[in-house]
Parts: sequence; structure tokens; C-alpha cells
Amino acid sequence: MKIDNQKQCLSISEIPELTAANSANFRDQVQSALKDSPSVIEINLSQTRFMDSSGLGALFALYRATAQRKGVILRLLNPAPEIQQLLELTQMQLLFEIVRR
Amino acid sequence: MAAPSLEPARPATLRLAFSPDMVSARAVSVAIRNFLAEQGVPEKELFSYELCIAEASSNAVEYARGPSRNMKPFAEALFTPSQIELRVTDHTEGFVLPEKIPPPSPLTDRGRGLFLIQSVMDEVRYLRGTKENILVMRKKRSFVRPAAASNGEGAAGLLSLGTCKRLLAEATEQMSMMEDQLLLRTETLSSVFRCCAELGRVDKVSEGFGGRLLIDLLHLTSADWYVLRMLSPDGRKLLVSAASESDLVSGPIELWNADGLPTGIESAVAASQTATRFDNREHSNPSEPLKSVGPEGTGLVCPLCFGGTLVGTIAVGRRNGDFPLGRLQDEVIRIFSEFLAIQALNQRSQEAKLRSRIVARELEIAQDIQRLLLPRTLPQLSGFGLAGGWQSANEVGGDFYDAIAIGDQSLLLMIADVMGKGVPAALFATTMRGLLRGLASRSCDPSELLGGLNRLLYKELSSVAMFITAQIVHVDLKNRQLTAASAGHCPLFYVPPGRRTIATMSIQGLPLGVMPETAYPHVAARMGSPTALLLYTDGLTDTNSPTGKPYGARRLGAWLRANTVPGRTAKELRDRLATEVNQFRGDALMTDDQAFLILTDEAADAVRPTSGGTRGFRPRHGTFLFPASASEHQTTP
Repeated sequence: MKIDNQKQCLSISEIPELTAANSANFRDQVQSALKDSPSVIEINLSQTRFMDSSGLGALFALYRATAQRKGVILRLLNPAPEIQQLLELTQMQLLFEIVRR
Repeated sequence: MAAPSLEPARPATLRLAFSPDMVSARAVSVAIRNFLAEQGVPEKELFSYELCIAEASSNAVEYARGPSRNMKPFAEALFTPSQIELRVTDHTEGFVLPEKIPPPSPLTDRGRGLFLIQSVMDEVRYLRGTKENILVMRKKRSFVRPAAASNGEGAAGLLSLGTCKRLLAEATEQMSMMEDQLLLRTETLSSVFRCCAELGRVDKVSEGFGGRLLIDLLHLTSADWYVLRMLSPDGRKLLVSAASESDLVSGPIELWNADGLPTGIESAVAASQTATRFDNREHSNPSEPLKSVGPEGTGLVCPLCFGGTLVGTIAVGRRNGDFPLGRLQDEVIRIFSEFLAIQALNQRSQEAKLRSRIVARELEIAQDIQRLLLPRTLPQLSGFGLAGGWQSANEVGGDFYDAIAIGDQSLLLMIADVMGKGVPAALFATTMRGLLRGLASRSCDPSELLGGLNRLLYKELSSVAMFITAQIVHVDLKNRQLTAASAGHCPLFYVPPGRRTIATMSIQGLPLGVMPETAYPHVAARMGSPTALLLYTDGLTDTNSPTGKPYGARRLGAWLRANTVPGRTAKELRDRLATEVNQFRGDALMTDDQAFLILTDEAADAVRPTSGGTRGFRPRHGTFLFPASASEHQTTP
């Protein structure tokens, strides 16, 4: 997993999967990166092959952690069709901006 | 030529035990995904199966408690081209899987896993056991055809004749499957109708009727066995009321063990009111009652409940584990269970209605008996008036009086109070009245009469632990002589000669039914002129005012003295006393029966013939009833 924090934009990428096995680690790392108060948070899911409900839970935790800060943009980049479907099924797409680039 | 369509007889299976940690749980879902990929499951389907195993196995790890944390969960995949079944066996305390989990709000942290599983699979069941539970997830697969190119088909959109034939055969097969399903549903419906038609004239649901319905169910689902259990009246046990074979009849199953946990599959189903599938190959509890269907027995246990009221359980299944009941059969069993539950509850409410009708009828009978208790008319004797009043706190009472003319110059008066209320008391009262009339033809000595009544009634009364207080007074009208004996009854009042005062006559004597041989001494006295004689039961003096003050014997005596004035008839006195006592009681509840008899001097011209008699009078609470007498018309104030 790669975390890039530049100009108020926090980019997280190279996430092969987000599951019960690694979501706690993901939460911790992202949580510590939030200290710099980014205004845009981009999670690049291009390389994410698999995600389960714990992974969704980790994304939700991120939403909750930033919900207090006004104007923070949460963006999910290029999710695979299966993952996009998962986000829609659980209505998580209401909390995140889903962008294809 | 098209390749023949072959389907493996047994599913390809992968079964993996894994350490109870998240990393192993994740590794298992990857392994199962790879296994399914090897079976030719296309890439786009694999994600769903991997997701289901990941969710189920991480739950198995997350919710394990205590020593279960060291037990390895299992994950399994069973593959056939037409169905994929995934199973995860956990050692948690288990949970109740709702029929359909609603989509969780995006703003919650939990509850997505099972929702996702139910969303992507066709059928999800959670089989709960005592030490382990199995989450079974099934998905039907659309028929997988070999790639078109391998059959040498031409341009896209054009199918070879062989492929068309195969597709046609598949469509025909599907139609025949649908036809089967339709047939099954029609048969279910007609079986239900058949049973409905039987309902009006047959026995209980828990007996013959339920059994017949379940035999229909066995045929419909091609199941081998069933066990119908009904909830015991105390709601704590399940009792077998029908079973397909006698070896399936076991003793009562307690719903809860000492630790408050269900004692088996059926009790767990009854407790959760949730249908559960079971498989004896996967349950290790040796005391499980359903073990009696055999080591490979499988089936469905459904609660019999409707509107939240549980009446029992029904277990249906097959003995051969390789052919478990399918989803359609489950559905039929559920329909039958609900139908049976509704019928059982209907029957229960009908029985309750019948019972209340019987109670109402019993009361009617009791009132008829009561009517027989009091004399229709009181004897007419020249120069004297006699009137009686009676009211009951219940539909039927045990207080009564009687008056028998002995020649034209004397009179036998009796007043009695049968301990107890209702029909038994009234029956003793009628018996006693009959006996007295019999005995009075031979003797009119109150002592002898009470002794005789006690001898005759002792056995019956003592066998039901009842007794009667009674008072018998012989009145010699010519000589104004009173002779009285009492069996534990309250004193009587009379006006003695020469003084304008009231005397009390209190006589010793045990109530009837206390001792087999009892002597009843008598007391004699002379009545004044004009006189009044009042016999009463303690219900009169025990009448309470709204503030709880009893009317009392002293007040009654004072009333009699104030009201015994020349020219006042017995009927007038009776009416005044009834009004007096009811006014004293006011709004207070009547707690005991009341009865009294009044005898007074009456001028001959006061005697009026009885008109209309007392035919058809009906006792009412809180209203004195007055049978006709020599000196009155029967009236109700």
C-alpha cells in the first residue's frame, strides 16, 4: 500500500485487497495520515482485486473520521466492476465520489 | 455431432480446516476461489463465492468465544455444473438467521456480511448445533455450455442444428421441472383443502387429523419420516402426538435445560420459532432425539406457530443423507406447518367457546334448581301471616327456608344455610328440603327432625367436607307455643307475652354433617299477642355497609321491636326488612346469601288469596324474592 500526502491531497494506492485480514492495518495507516487535514482523499482501487465487508467497514471508518470536517472530498478511483457492484449493493456509493480516470 | 451432456454423480468437493485467525480465514477464501476456478467457474462469478467464504469464515473467527477460539472452523465448496454449495462450520454460540436481511444503512459499521451473502446466493441456511453450526450457501448456476467455437459453429448469432436441439432439450427439461413444481403446489393446495373439509367433523389436530395431514405431506415431499410434537399445556415440554413410525416416538422434550439452553434441535426451533434444517452426519450430540431417524438422517424442523403463538413443532425428512429435501420441499413443509398451527389454534378457541357455553348452561341449571329450593307458596293459616325473603350473592345460593303446615293449628318452620355456594350447595339444600318433608310426616319435634336430618345427610356431607346450619321451629298457633332446635344456626327473635320487647332464642347444637350421631336439645317458649317471630340466616346480620360496618343482630332486634305494631302484616314487615337491609348495604358488594322468615298475627280480613302464584320467578342478585304466602301477593320491591 502506498500513501502519498501532497498539497492537501491524500492519495492511497496499490491496495491489492481490502479484507478482514488487513483492514485494521489500513485503518491505522490512513488514520495517522489524516493528521495533516487533507481536503481531498483519494483511494485508488485500480489494483484492488478483492474487498469484503471488513474492507467496506474500513472505508466507512474513513468516512466517519472525516465527516466532522467540512468540505473534505472522499474519492474512490477506478473500482473493478465487482467492487463497484459491492459499493452499490451496500449503498456506500452515497458516501463516496466514484471516479474513473 | 454435439458432445453428450454428462454431469458428475457426486459434486467435486474441497474441504479445508483453518486456524481461527483472520489471515487463515482469508487464505481459505482464496483457496476456495482457486478450486472453483479449476472447476471452470468463470472469473466474473468467482468474486461472489470468494466474498461469501470470506464473510462466513471471518465471522467464524470473530465470534468464537472461550475454548471455541482454539477449535478449527471448516470451509467447504461442493461443485456441480448446476449448483455450487459453500459451507462454513463454526464453533460459535450461533445466531438466528433472519429469512431476509434488509439492506443495512450505509451509515452503520456492521451487519453487511450476512446481507452480502444473502444478496449474492440463492439460498442461505444456518444449521445450528450444540457445539458447531453450519452456514450453508447455495447458488444455482445457469447451464454452462462449452465454448461455441469448439462445436465448430459459424458466425456469431448463428447456432448449429445440434446446439439448437440441445437448447430445445434443455428448455423442455426446464419446463418439465416447472410443471413438477406446479403440480406439487397444486397437490399441496388440494391436500390442504381436503383437510379443511374434514375439519368440521374430525378429532383433534394433535391426534388423528394432524397425523393424516402429515401422511399427505410425506407423499408430497417424498420424505421418509415425520415427527409431530405439540407443546404441553404448561408450555415447557414438547410431546410427540404423531410420528410416521413407532420408533420415532420418544419421551417429552424439555424446552430448556437447567442452564436455560434448548435441549435439542426441536426445542431450539420451538424457542426461536425459526425453521431449521438439520443433518445427523454433522451433529455430534448423542442425546439429540432426532438421532432416532438414523445416522444419515436429514430434514427440516418447522415451528408450528401463528401470530407469535407456538403450538408445537414438526420434523420431516429423509433417512438417506445423500438425498436431502430441496428448497421446494422446504416450502411445502412450511405451508403445512402454518396450516396446522392455524387449525390447532382455531380448535383451541372453539374449545374455549364451548367451555364458556357449558358454564353458562350450568348456571341456568343451577338457577332452575334454586327455583325449586324455595317453597312456591307458604301455608295459609287463619289469624297468622307468614312471609319470607331471600337473596343470593351468586347465581345460586345455599340459603333456604321452608314452612309446612301440620294440621290447621300448627306450623313447622325451617331455615338453613348450606356451607358453600353454587350447584353443590343448592343440591344439598333441595335434598334436605325433601328429607324434611318426609320426616315431618312422622314427627314434628324439632330435635328429632334435626337428629334425623343429620343421620341421613352426615355421610354425604362429610365426604365432601361440607356442613349445614339449620333451625327448625314448631309453632303451636293455638297455644302460642314455640319449640325450637338449632344445628349451629344463629338465634331467632320473637315477641314474648306481656312485654313490648324482643326476645332472642339461642340454642346449642352442632351443624349437620359434623358428627354422625348428634343430639339436638330443644327450647320452648311462649309467644306474646300480638307477636312476631323472625328466623334468619347470618347473611342478613353480616351484611356490610359501604364503610364495612356489619348490620348485626342487635340492630336487627331493634328493628323488629320498632316495626312490630298491631295491624302490620307479615308481607309489610318483610318488605320493610328487605328495604332496610338493602339501604344499609348501599353500594357495598353482597358477600353472602340472605334468607329470613317472618310470622305475625294477622286479622282474618287481611288474608288475601294468592294470585298468579310464583310460577316463573327468576332469582336475581341483590333483589329479595318473595314467594306467595297466605297474606300476600308475590311481588318484588
